[in-house]
Amino acid sequence: MALEQELETYKNKLAELQGNEGKFVLIRGDQVVDMYSTYEDAIKEGYAKFGVNSPFLVKQIQAIQQVQFISRFVDPCHTLPSR
Amino acid sequence: MLHAAVGVSQARQAALVAAHLPIPPVVNIFALVDTGASCTCIDPSVLQSLQLTPTGSTPMNTPSTGTAPHVANQYDVSIIIPGPGPTYPPFFSPTVPVVEAQLLLAQGFHALIGRDILQHCLFSYNGTAGIFTLAY
Repeated sequence: MALEQELETYKNKLAELQGNEGKFVLIRGDQVVDMYSTYEDAIKEGYAKFGVNSPFLVKQIQAIQQVQFISRFVDPCHTLPSR
Repeated sequence: MLHAAVGVSQARQAALVAAHLPIPPVVNIFALVDTGASCTCIDPSVLQSLQLTPTGSTPMNTPSTGTAPHVANQYDVSIIIPGPGPTYPPFFSPTVPVVEAQLLLAQGFHALIGRDILQHCLFSYNGTAGIFTLAY
């Protein structure tokens, strides 16, 4: 399962992160590295710090997670069931 | 439907260069402009060609997921949509998140261009003439 630990960290730290809602958080393992104003900045920093072969998560901080919607019949490649 | 090209993101490209690793060539794709898609989706075969690993995830609802959203892998890529001729600049998004979704190839395309990209463009559909225009 991809980024399982990082997603768990995001979930556990969400209450602390909510003051920065809308920003993009960079997470590696159980560590919140930093928060950035843009997706591009967070991704750039992730690759700069961890390289291309180590997993890291970039996620927009949202108190209520926005659900994407596709009206066409496609199968999203799952990481885990939504909670 | 339009031609487009997908490559590693500019951020990943810089990291590959710094690590003296080869940069996978961009993949030419057929993409469907889909105003019913809130995010851009790409077939796994394209992402595998670019040797990508997920850098995000997002909950997603489709007709196949039923009522409960599923969490889907997200990848950072660059997307190029060529202009109508060589003298026109292309649409270029250097680092954009896309969602991995299967069954796109069976429907005759590799990607759905969703509203996350369309929000940077002017999209008009002329149904009586059977044409669409994408300006950026």
